[in-house]
Amino acid sequence: MAKKIYDVIVIGTGAGGGMTIKTLCEAGLKVCALNAGRRLDPEKDFRYHRMPWDMKFRGQDDPKRRGESFGYMDNEYTKAAWDHEIPFTTPPGMKWMWPRCNAVGGKTNFWGRSSARFGDIDFKAASLDGYDVDWPITHDEISPFYTRVEKMIGVASTVQNRPSNPDGSYLPPFKFRCLDRILEAACNKVGVPYLPDRCAQLTQPHEGHPACHFCGECTTGCDVGAFFSTPYFLLPKAEATKNLELRTDALAKNVLVDQNGHATGVAYIDRKTKQEVEVYGRAVVVAASCIESSRIMLNSKSRHWPTGIANSSGQLGRNLCDHLYGESARGYLPQLLGQPSFPDHVADSTIAWMPRWQNLKDPHEEKFIRGYSIYPDGGCEEFPGFATEMDGFGSSFKREVKRRYPAPVSFGIQAPSLRLDTNYVDLDPEVKDPYGIPVARIHFEWDENVLKMWEHSKQVCAEVLRAAGGVLEGAGDAPEIPGWSLHETGTCRMGNDPKNFVTNRFGQTHDVPNLYVCDASVFLNCTDKTTTISILAFSLRTSEHLIENFRQGEHKA
Amino acid sequence: MAGQGVGRRQVLRIMGAAAAAAHFPGFSKWGFACGHIGNAALQIKPAVYRPQFFTAAEYAMVERLVEIIIPSDGTPGAKEAGVAEFIDFMVANDPDEQYRFRTGLTWLHAHSEETAGKKFVDLAPEQQTSLLEPLGFKDKSRPGQEAGRRFFSMIREYTVTGFYTSEIGFKELDNPALKFYAESPECPHKDDPEHQHLSQMTS
Repeated sequence: MAKKIYDVIVIGTGAGGGMTIKTLCEAGLKVCALNAGRRLDPEKDFRYHRMPWDMKFRGQDDPKRRGESFGYMDNEYTKAAWDHEIPFTTPPGMKWMWPRCNAVGGKTNFWGRSSARFGDIDFKAASLDGYDVDWPITHDEISPFYTRVEKMIGVASTVQNRPSNPDGSYLPPFKFRCLDRILEAACNKVGVPYLPDRCAQLTQPHEGHPACHFCGECTTGCDVGAFFSTPYFLLPKAEATKNLELRTDALAKNVLVDQNGHATGVAYIDRKTKQEVEVYGRAVVVAASCIESSRIMLNSKSRHWPTGIANSSGQLGRNLCDHLYGESARGYLPQLLGQPSFPDHVADSTIAWMPRWQNLKDPHEEKFIRGYSIYPDGGCEEFPGFATEMDGFGSSFKREVKRRYPAPVSFGIQAPSLRLDTNYVDLDPEVKDPYGIPVARIHFEWDENVLKMWEHSKQVCAEVLRAAGGVLEGAGDAPEIPGWSLHETGTCRMGNDPKNFVTNRFGQTHDVPNLYVCDASVFLNCTDKTTTISILAFSLRTSEHLIENFRQGEHKA
Repeated sequence: MAGQGVGRRQVLRIMGAAAAAAHFPGFSKWGFACGHIGNAALQIKPAVYRPQFFTAAEYAMVERLVEIIIPSDGTPGAKEAGVAEFIDFMVANDPDEQYRFRTGLTWLHAHSEETAGKKFVDLAPEQQTSLLEPLGFKDKSRPGQEAGRRFFSMIREYTVTGFYTSEIGFKELDNPALKFYAESPECPHKDDPEHQHLSQMTS
């Protein structure tokens, strides 16, 4: 029997994979997509409309699982969607948290939805401050792709004319709550911006998707699809073309190559049968998320590629960057003490933002280079977390919890690490996953620059809180551990020089012309912005480049 | 899916269909609360909770402690919300915490016998309160009672968690969580951006 050859094999169905799959299928290419986990059933798996007392452990999760949790998104509401079977390692003294959603749609099922474009201040940062190298792309070039993505997914925001934040095409913004109005006035006094965030949550019906109903539990999955995720927005369109075959529980192991070192397909483990299966295509797109993509490519060793496929530069797995997250300040606003409860918690922390205001006029005006953004939040949360640390007991305690309930505020930092030679992913020489595949070993430490941003943010946020008439109660003792943000970037960086970069400016590997990368691993670094909308825009561009290459006859069998 | 929140799921499907056709037609701005999702009427509840971890004597102490921490005082408290059951269930599933709870309760038992000559649960309510004040209020703390203070902080944290994740706790705070809205809720104090002139709610 002749073996079946698809046009393209796509590994992964998250933001990058989902966009690629849809774009290729609509162009008439036959696609086989591999996803490491199962399809979620929103009715069963999305428990976000359950009250805590409907959950066995009140949403706190089984205490016995506490040590295994991958952070705030991996909880009693979303368990079974996160991969706990495939381990990873870190060298002694280093820490990393690696939440991997292996369900179809990946992390788009639960993502935070903040959706700001990267701008030239990010792409040309190296020219401005002399550190590292520029991106091989300008905002003018990627802007049309951002615009198409914004129209496709629906982003609520306003035109803000900020030098670090190119504006896009937006749905009506979220309205400001009491705490936003108070903090906005305080930020005006201090001289830092306070604006509606760019939030991919539908404030009105959009492209056949229902408007948000503002229940506020987005990061445990939306069962009406009122914010962008690939299972709601992209995969149905791909499946309607009949050009997609989606294989679930298919854990990609390595890219297969021919005698010339070109990609011929992918070997994967069927997690149900535990058998290795091969699937063949004229081109392969790796979109398994930053670290997993480099693990798959590093594990794709052959005579041609002794250190991993498309790694003649030696840069595969290198240049890992991440967002530093942490609580820069917390406290409360006395103006709101004793006020009636108010539905503040309708979009997690993405109603407002304090977009990068540092180093805008002069790249060296601060003690650090580049910049960070802040996500303020607070008000009536589902659970009054502040009460677990309150003093006293009895009726006075109970009254004080109620009085304080509308008043808490907190400030979360999102700050980019700088590219370092010492932050990278390789394969652990000894540890293997349950299928015998070497696991990723993650080397990472925060750099001095990003830690200066962290210190700076604590001062500014305390100042904002004071200007608001607020009471400062503290800040995080330390930033969250690396990996917490789920915004890892780098490891397959794009650039024009094949000696120094894994892919070209279109996400096509320099070494293997029919191998493409569609996720945040092609980014040169992280910025002060989140990654998903940029993954979507860059993947759309890469997919169309791939389609054009097919039209030019480049990827024949 | 029987009994699994069919009512609310149906509501969502209706909302989704309606929203796809037009803006939400049937919902007023301030929405409505979602009802209880489980089919409570079909659940068989035991008349008396049987502790899974604590001994009967320990459980009696836990019941009394949570009642003192969040009392019933015009609105229902931790006792009515079944917080002792929550704590027992969590601790039974948490080997790491069992030792801390057991030694903490043992400390309190010994402390009560030593200072008042009686078991904690047999003390008069005022005696219980005055025994606990040095443990629960920072400005009343006394040297030599660090172990007791650590235990009290721990059980207070569990009590807060158990109470404010219960339906009674939600009602106590008029918790707006999981209500649905047609538009994103907006600050109602347009003329007062700094909110310096809000009238205080009387309780």
